[in-house]
Amino acid sequence: MASNGADHGGSAKRPRLMVKLKQPASSSRASAAASLSSSRQPSLSRDDYEEEGLPLEDDYVARPNDAEYRFHSRDFTKMPLKLDHASRPLWISPDDGHIILEGFSPLAEQAQDFLIAIAEPVSRPAFIHEYKLTPYSLYAAVSVGLQPNDIIEVLNRLSKVPVPETVLDFIREYTASFGKIKLVLKQNKYFVESAHPEILQTLLRDEVIGAARVREDPSAQSNKNGRMEVLGKAQAPTRGDLVIPGTESAAKKAQQSVAATNGAAASRPGASATGKAAESAQAAPRADEADLFSAIIGVDEADELDEDDTVHSFEIAEEYIEQVKKRCNEIGYPMLEEYDFRNDQLNADLEIDLKPITHIRPYQEKSLAKMFGNGRARSGIIVLPCGAGKTLVGITAACTIKKSCLVLCTSSVSVYQWRQQFLQWSNIQDNQISVFTADQKEKFSGASGIVVSTYSMVANTGKRSHTSQKMMNFLESREWGFILLDEVHVVPASMFRRVLTKIKAHSKLGLTATLVREDEKIDELNFLVGPKLYEANWMDLAAKGHIATVQCAEVWCPMTPEFYREYLREKSRKKMLLYCMNPKKFQAAQFLIDYHENRGDKIIVFSDNVYALEAYAIKLRKLYIHGGTPQVERMRILQNFQHNPLVNTIFLSKVGDTSIDLPEATCLIQISSHFGSRRQEAQRLGRILRAKRRNDEGFNAFFYSLVSKDTSEMFYSTKRQQFLIDQGYAFRVITHLVGQEDMPGLVYKSQAEQIELLQSVLIANESDADLGSDMRGSEWADGSGAGRQRRIVGSGGQQSRIPSGVAKAQRTMGSLNALSGAQHMSYIERNRSMNKTLAKDQPRHKAFQKRAANAKKRVED
Amino acid sequence: MKAYKGVLLTCDPAVKQLILSIDERLRFIIMDLDETHLLVSPDKVEWMRAELETELEKNTYTLDA
Repeated sequence: MASNGADHGGSAKRPRLMVKLKQPASSSRASAAASLSSSRQPSLSRDDYEEEGLPLEDDYVARPNDAEYRFHSRDFTKMPLKLDHASRPLWISPDDGHIILEGFSPLAEQAQDFLIAIAEPVSRPAFIHEYKLTPYSLYAAVSVGLQPNDIIEVLNRLSKVPVPETVLDFIREYTASFGKIKLVLKQNKYFVESAHPEILQTLLRDEVIGAARVREDPSAQSNKNGRMEVLGKAQAPTRGDLVIPGTESAAKKAQQSVAATNGAAASRPGASATGKAAESAQAAPRADEADLFSAIIGVDEADELDEDDTVHSFEIAEEYIEQVKKRCNEIGYPMLEEYDFRNDQLNADLEIDLKPITHIRPYQEKSLAKMFGNGRARSGIIVLPCGAGKTLVGITAACTIKKSCLVLCTSSVSVYQWRQQFLQWSNIQDNQISVFTADQKEKFSGASGIVVSTYSMVANTGKRSHTSQKMMNFLESREWGFILLDEVHVVPASMFRRVLTKIKAHSKLGLTATLVREDEKIDELNFLVGPKLYEANWMDLAAKGHIATVQCAEVWCPMTPEFYREYLREKSRKKMLLYCMNPKKFQAAQFLIDYHENRGDKIIVFSDNVYALEAYAIKLRKLYIHGGTPQVERMRILQNFQHNPLVNTIFLSKVGDTSIDLPEATCLIQISSHFGSRRQEAQRLGRILRAKRRNDEGFNAFFYSLVSKDTSEMFYSTKRQQFLIDQGYAFRVITHLVGQEDMPGLVYKSQAEQIELLQSVLIANESDADLGSDMRGSEWADGSGAGRQRRIVGSGGQQSRIPSGVAKAQRTMGSLNALSGAQHMSYIERNRSMNKTLAKDQPRHKAFQKRAANAKKRVED
Repeated sequence: MKAYKGVLLTCDPAVKQLILSIDERLRFIIMDLDETHLLVSPDKVEWMRAELETELEKNTYTLDA
């Protein structure tokens, strides 16, 4: 067994197997000798081979010409290395455009800035980073103003090998068509704009696009065939004196009132003297390198290369926008969308600015510089980890554009958070920012303002109440300068389309932490919203103290034989419940909670499965929150977790994945999760990235994932971690927690107790194993209005509530005792939920009440 | 007196359960000795080994999967 496992590539994650074969002691000698050759040899491990000096059968012994055999078609050993390759940090793969960066090279930092601009990061662990050139990433590179020749030039300077022809062709092919045409909304009309009139001519010859063109002279329709189209001409915009608020140059501007012609991105000294550096071909000293990079990366410089003096344009009709965009993508000329907000006189300006005390961080500035590259607003997506200040990036963007703004987020909780953040960071007036949710519908006063709402409110196609219909008409009737899409990865594409067609917005900005989806629909965002403008490096931010450093660990809990036997028999739903409720996992959870509570950590335990959540929390006597917990109780529990030194652990179901913000938490334990969802893993990790104590010296946050061995949980767990591993996190595997067995008060220690637990799991209702069962109780009742709960009292005292939309018949199952009502006589709840023991909000003590009353009276007098 | 020819198998408790479930498809276990030991018939060892490998492989995630 061991020898088979050891030479597989992915063996690091394989459950350790301890199957050893021995010769039967009692069998006859003759047969033992016969079976020796057949059964003994395969059981030899690699160590045995090495000890005995036998040749290894695999590729571990380097043979001179086995490169071909080892790498198959991916043998690149024939590529010549440059003479000074040691000082250059990149490897470029000829067949798939992957770029490998040596993260330990002295040039790595600048090379990283460059690669971020032109390629998509695939994986960024500590030392070796992998990037990938894709059509989209090149599209993004062009959209921030990089020129193909510059891209190739810099790649060539950084690469250890001459840039392969295939890669050169790839870059040339995609940059040639991308970004050459732009869709601009000017004075309420859509224009297709380009510096290359011949491309516009090509487009106009296309029947879909040609038909969408708006002609000023209707008679021109008749003789359009064969005639050269007359195109409008205009001066290309320059960045001019646009300054992103909150940045260094903004501060400078305020002080000296000198027009900051260089723009906000010019934070590095010497960014202007760069022309020469670009020409010098040899690896130059460091200072020169820095110049070169800022020439390529620095947005203000690139613009001068990017923009010709005149641009040509033609107008297209509003109603054809969607078709034209689609058609342009099909024929290989995707459009960039830009908004010339400074020259927009039709839409009223909004009085909004960041408060003088607000300063944005360098990476936030970098991301915004990409958005406002040439003085116009580009649409796109900015990717920042949870807790790294996505909100502030959004607010700063809104403050730069200074037009009416619509903010869309996922839940009504975050609607209020956004509103509050706007008031906190900017000087917007209270009456200019309004909220549109199910319970609150208001309009802002004045000609411009901000509306915060949710995706579902805006995209709803069903029947609406009168007031929300009125509000929707208001939203649809006006033209928005800017639309901000929070958590842009969660929204289904169809919903997006509905939102984006209903609402006319000049520019769109998507914000997200995790641009991954399990259904591979992420590509659609590229064309619905825009290209990815910026993606931050998590490890970098952690090193600079913007987010907490996290130690990740995967704890392997062996299944007990009884549980494993049932696991092998059951169907998939119940299987999940069995590996969640594994007694060894229970013990590991108890041990870790105890250990971290003693260290003074505040712990959140996540469980997707509500049945397991309740079982764990009640057994370990901790507070818990799931979908069915009433709002008042939730708030009370959260407050206690934040302020009460006696409450150090709470259990959360997936309601806590995103919306609940607890900066106190420093340790996460995950006992069950939503299959292989990489996004959930990252979102959960995000709960501790903003830990309050993150800047304490030597502070570490902890993230544990408890996994039952030899079950499908192992599979999911490895899959879930992929996203975080690509961000540079390393998961340690803990196979044994030292001291777990000797812990006093360890639960389910004896086999009898374990079997009892197994019994209760087996009789648990099928619906308890369901992940969706989080939506029960009050939430269902609220949603349907007529919803009622059926209560089924099982013979084991097992209670489960099944929500039902139909209230006509009521069926009750149970033992005769229960049906006759006799069960209550003998029923005593010994192990009450800790939620119940929390003190209700008690009125103040009599003495204080009296004192307060006196004080009040005195004030009145 | 009866004598059976067999191979002694040592494994951890969970894997023993897995082997028992394989045994339900095709009998090869001669005797279930204790929590970590089984006596199995020698000619089925290779087959069992392959079955066990495929069962456990299901729980391993690889990037190209």
